[in-house]
Amino acid sequence: MKGCKRNPFSAFFFILTLFSNLLLAQTNSSQIDFFSPQNRLKFGDYLFREQDYLRAINEYQEYLKIANNDTARFKFAFALAEMGRETEALDNYKGLFFSSPLNEGARLEFYKINFQQGDFVRFRDLCTEKIYLPENSDLIIQKLNRFSYLLDDNLLPDSAAFVDVFDQGEKEQVLNFYMRKKFPPYKSPLTAAVLSAIIPGAGKIYTGNYGDGITAFLLTGILSFLAYDNFKADHDFRGWLFTGLAVMFYSGNVYGSVASTQIYNVGIKFHFENEVKIYLNEKKYFLNKYDFLNR
Amino acid sequence: MKKYLIYIVVLSSYVLAQDDLKRQFDYADKLHSNSLFYEAITEYKRLQFFDEGSTYSYQTNYRMGLCYKAGAKLDDAVKYFSLAEKFARTDEESFDTKTQVIRVNILRKTTGRALKLLDDLESDSSFTSKIDEINYWRGWAYMFADDWENAALAFGKINPSHELKRKCENVLNEKYSITFAKIISYILPGAGQFYMGNYFSGLLSLGWNVLCGFLTVDSILDDRIFDGLTLGSLLWLRFYRGNIQNAEKFAIQKNFEIANETLRYLQNEYVGLKP
Repeated sequence: MKGCKRNPFSAFFFILTLFSNLLLAQTNSSQIDFFSPQNRLKFGDYLFREQDYLRAINEYQEYLKIANNDTARFKFAFALAEMGRETEALDNYKGLFFSSPLNEGARLEFYKINFQQGDFVRFRDLCTEKIYLPENSDLIIQKLNRFSYLLDDNLLPDSAAFVDVFDQGEKEQVLNFYMRKKFPPYKSPLTAAVLSAIIPGAGKIYTGNYGDGITAFLLTGILSFLAYDNFKADHDFRGWLFTGLAVMFYSGNVYGSVASTQIYNVGIKFHFENEVKIYLNEKKYFLNKYDFLNR
Repeated sequence: MKKYLIYIVVLSSYVLAQDDLKRQFDYADKLHSNSLFYEAITEYKRLQFFDEGSTYSYQTNYRMGLCYKAGAKLDDAVKYFSLAEKFARTDEESFDTKTQVIRVNILRKTTGRALKLLDDLESDSSFTSKIDEINYWRGWAYMFADDWENAALAFGKINPSHELKRKCENVLNEKYSITFAKIISYILPGAGQFYMGNYFSGLLSLGWNVLCGFLTVDSILDDRIFDGLTLGSLLWLRFYRGNIQNAEKFAIQKNFEIANETLRYLQNEYVGLKP
């Protein structure tokens, strides 16, 4: 080493490298604390964007134990609602009702969840009490209020008052729903029973079950004829056997027609409610999109 | 000398940088090996999120695929195995992921897709040395599709006395012929049920057909033609057709039992690789 000239820069570079190494160690992945609150929040937001709500809930929950963040709480509540944990979602939205910039959205979501829970009497009570009503989005709640009448058995309000809160583009469809709710195309079980008693199978045809109606007519007719023919040929046992079968088919056809109207009416109600729900889903329950949810 | 020192320091920094990722990967692996699949997936996802260099992309996606597969979330399993395939670094890894996708397809009984993927693998020149494995999974695909003949052929290509080939041949030998059961039922009502050992059902079928046949013929001989035709079409024909359908149903059911017994053996006792 003797005689070797020391380069003043090499020592400098060595120190610089050590220093940068130390810096790197502080900033790069060698120092990642996967479970720090900030990293949990970042990871939770990523999971939320991926719509992996179940895992996002866990991350937000851990994060919110340590920090208070309105956006995180809103997303937490939103994820809970998406996973069907509505009661917890409502509690968390309530936490944003006062002194939070997100209170308007939280209140709307609160009403939306209450609507989705299907207890429309309670929902309308909440609307009337006005305790949690959002200040600037009262119209949205009124629209949901009107729709609640379409989904339960309470008396409908007057049609003009019913549609007045909706936009021009929505009115036609809403009025259509209103009329279908007010005058549902139900079939009468009594009419079906009487028709089937006079002409076997007619009750079924009345409810649109043409195949069943024709079958009932043919079977009852053939069995009655067989009974008659066997009695005529002095085959009493067979005559009574076919009489029994004919009576059984005849009564079955009357009972079946009544049951058929009930099934038909349930189908009408089911399809109507489904259409209303699909409409609401397409309209996103009249709620605006929240841009911050995708960040 | 100092130059080397600098290299060592820089290198150690890089190695350190991998430490936390490695630790997280090991942690997720530990959860996976303890069958905590949901938690394992969360940790693999967490690792993926923070692994900016995608160092662990292949492993995490592959293992998430395994977790989803173990949890019977087969569609998700295919998604993650396909993602892993994109990050495969060697032919071996690529083959592994491809066969995993095929195995999931076998499990979810999308046999057509599994066979198509196997054909693609076979025609890929990178995997010519893997022909036995390809045939092995082809055999499994056929077994799950209840096509024991083609399954035996596929296993036979690996080894003419392959254990699974013999199993498939056994199933083929034990199975009942549905066509034969139906034909003999056409000739003598109840015979199909007798062929499969369902003697009581066979006797009932025969009895009903004899009784209804007698009533029909008796009415016609009595000149009550309409009566006879109605009885014949509503009762006799119903029992005659019912007897044939019954024979077919029994044959299908028995064949299912035979196939299921073999599948149960494969699931519980077979020691080789399974889908």
